[in-house]
Amino acid sequence: MWPRVVEVMLGCWLGMSPFIFRHNPHQTELRLNDLACALAIVTLSLLSFWQPCRAAHFGLCGVAIWLIGFGYARAPLPAPPALQNDILVGMLLLMFAIIPNEANPPRSWSDLGS
Amino acid sequence: MWLRKTCALDDMKTTEVSLTLETPAPPWKYNPSAWSQRIPLCLFAAVAFLISSYMALYQWRLIDNVWDPVFGKQTRNVLDSDVSARMQRWFHIPDAALGAIAYLGDLVFGLAGSTRRWQYRPWLVVLFGLDVIPLGIVSVVLVVLQGTMVGSWCFLCLLTAAISLLLILFAYDEVWSSLLYLYRVWLKTRSRRVLWDTFWGRASRVADEVGLAVTGRR
Repeated sequence: MWPRVVEVMLGCWLGMSPFIFRHNPHQTELRLNDLACALAIVTLSLLSFWQPCRAAHFGLCGVAIWLIGFGYARAPLPAPPALQNDILVGMLLLMFAIIPNEANPPRSWSDLGS
Repeated sequence: MWLRKTCALDDMKTTEVSLTLETPAPPWKYNPSAWSQRIPLCLFAAVAFLISSYMALYQWRLIDNVWDPVFGKQTRNVLDSDVSARMQRWFHIPDAALGAIAYLGDLVFGLAGSTRRWQYRPWLVVLFGLDVIPLGIVSVVLVVLQGTMVGSWCFLCLLTAAISLLLILFAYDEVWSSLLYLYRVWLKTRSRRVLWDTFWGRASRVADEVGLAVTGRR
């Protein structure tokens, strides 16, 4: 479950980001976007620990693509640190979100003989 | 729960043997997914990740200077070059940060999965291979181009390019085993459906039989 732990940490970092990078005070939607995505990341990765929702982490791919797209769409040139942070967190998240919960052979293999 | 299941299946030869993790994978006499094969790759990828992150820190101007024992100021010329600025305009983040993400990808995909992932998770091995092999070659070409186009060389960039080549050497055997396994499943079934399922790690009798046959257990 180590990728899920890393994702929770990334979510916490994204939640702290608006206070570290200081968005333009007139653009509250940037701050709200960071906080909403942070909440979604932590929720989805923690849900993956619960057996019935073990595939919830795949939903993080959607959040990651949103973050990357949002960063690209909103960033002027050169991109401000806060939006570069969104793009980078999105890329990292995409990388971790596809890693399975367990290194063990997929469930279907151990079910094969039963 | 998984362990209990395997123990319960001990008398069922097929499943028991198929679930043995430590087994050589053809065409090699060793297991290319073994930790002894993957950990060194992960260590080198971690070094390259740290070096790239260090250069990204300079491109973000979070540090004022960048260390280069051989080419001195030339590293700064490379990192501040027009090529680099153009890449930052395209991607919105410095090119060294992109490199760092790619090396971290090598590390993360190198760590994920069991020691028989060449059979159980071909998608992961193929993704890992795509990150290491084509991206590695692209990064080497980029470094050489930077040297020739910018006219300056960068010791740390050359070091990461050398590590990229080393990573390819470490990774190709596992990718080859996985592709060979998929090819054999295709030869046996000629079914795109089975091949697709096998690629995504979904078990089937046929995939299990091919796994047993290629590992010489049957």
